[in-house]
Amino acid sequence: MFGKLLKYEIKHSSRYVLSIYICAAAAAAFMLLGMLAKVTWISVLGSIVLYTVGFAVVIMTLVSVIKNFYDSLYGAQGYLSFTLPVKCSSLLFSKVVVSFFWIILSCVALALMFVLIFLNAKAQSGSSFTGIYDAMKISGILDMLPSGAMIVKFLIIMGVLALLNILVFVGFVYFAVTLANTRALQKHPKLFGFLIFAGTYGFSNSLSAKLTTSIPLSVEITTEKVSIVFSSMDSAGQALASFGIAGTIFMALVATGLLVATGWIMEHKVNIK
Amino acid sequence: MNNIITVSSLKKSYGSKVVLDGVDFTAPAGQIIGLLGPNGCGKTTLIKILTGLIKDHSGTVRIDNEEPGAYTKGIVAYLPEKSYLPDWMRPVDAIDYFSSFYKDFDKAKAEEMVVKFGLDSKQKLKTMSKGQQEKLNLILVMCRQARLYVLDEPLGGVDPAARSAILDLIMNNYAKDATVLLSTHLINDVEYIFDRVLMISGGKLIVDSHIDEIRQKGKSVEDVFKEVFSYVW
Repeated sequence: MFGKLLKYEIKHSSRYVLSIYICAAAAAAFMLLGMLAKVTWISVLGSIVLYTVGFAVVIMTLVSVIKNFYDSLYGAQGYLSFTLPVKCSSLLFSKVVVSFFWIILSCVALALMFVLIFLNAKAQSGSSFTGIYDAMKISGILDMLPSGAMIVKFLIIMGVLALLNILVFVGFVYFAVTLANTRALQKHPKLFGFLIFAGTYGFSNSLSAKLTTSIPLSVEITTEKVSIVFSSMDSAGQALASFGIAGTIFMALVATGLLVATGWIMEHKVNIK
Repeated sequence: MNNIITVSSLKKSYGSKVVLDGVDFTAPAGQIIGLLGPNGCGKTTLIKILTGLIKDHSGTVRIDNEEPGAYTKGIVAYLPEKSYLPDWMRPVDAIDYFSSFYKDFDKAKAEEMVVKFGLDSKQKLKTMSKGQQEKLNLILVMCRQARLYVLDEPLGGVDPAARSAILDLIMNNYAKDATVLLSTHLINDVEYIFDRVLMISGGKLIVDSHIDEIRQKGKSVEDVFKEVFSYVW
């Protein structure tokens, strides 16, 4: 049954995000057209459009995740969703999984768009990749770059952090939308949803910052190594990235707790209008 | 015989407004029950509680001896007052959806009925008239071999000819050992199908009678309804 929930959740939510991807594809095609035809103004304009659309894809995906969750559970479609012969936890989990899927896909799309913009810029400047490589080698920049293994480690850690951030977004948003649709608050669900999100996220974030300061244990990634340091900040100021362990774990735990609470509210306090 | 519905001391309030105030009744399998009362008397709230759409109530509700949940939703076919399918769906998508989730859904019968009722299986819901959407919703519900059918105002807002067609659709397609709970305020059109009527007023169940008892007194359901709810006017 969970597989069917996922199938229909993807089918349904794709209606919200497909148009955004179509816009992005059109912008990319416009820019590539300029590149191939060697018409500078088209490819420059295409780059600007693609850059704008790239961020719009991510933002619109986040908005779509919220809108789809609200419409399919607490709008008229809630009559359909909440009368399916499945547990509320399965319903919620399918929405979480599909939200992760769309957000990750949008981030990948954004990265691909940046690669396209970079390639376009290179084509415009007339420099070849071998020329760039040679110039970097001569100037010694290549020696300063991290090794392949370090880049893999960096990407893995950043990937895990990105997943945790998606968990935090989904957990706080789903909880706020669900709590705002309980009996006491559902006269103004959008207003209360926003206030609950702002309140819980702001409060948890400030606690997370305090925890990071009071438990000075951070992961620090430099070009040479990944290390755990006894500091709340990038001690040497030379790290590629650093983050407080306590604060990050705290936010992930709070988001998980909020998702569990969301499932409980859906199971025990739901009141479909 | 086991009761398909057991409701005991059911209470539900919206803020200070008490909508259901200690409702008790049971329903065995195989009855067609009319749930009657004026607008705003709590019929829809009772139905939403039975179907698991409202959980913040007090008292006991059991469907086939289980609390409303995943199991009961598998044996209850529910027709809400409002259209609840996503507007991108076409009849063919809706049939596919119901057949995926409900084991008791008869896909072939639904496809046949879509054609019979003059619906285009490839037309999107958002381009359908309200009447066409209501037809599709009813087809989806009545193509299930459910243990309990809960129909909330299936006759509301349709002309007398359509009412007759809807009643025929219900009567010809519900599983014969199932219970049908049908809420309406258009009593005259439907009273002949009922085995039993429940009337709600002021949050309380004030009439729970078998149709034979009413007829033995030389009355119709509409007469009883008018007696009970004359104060409303």
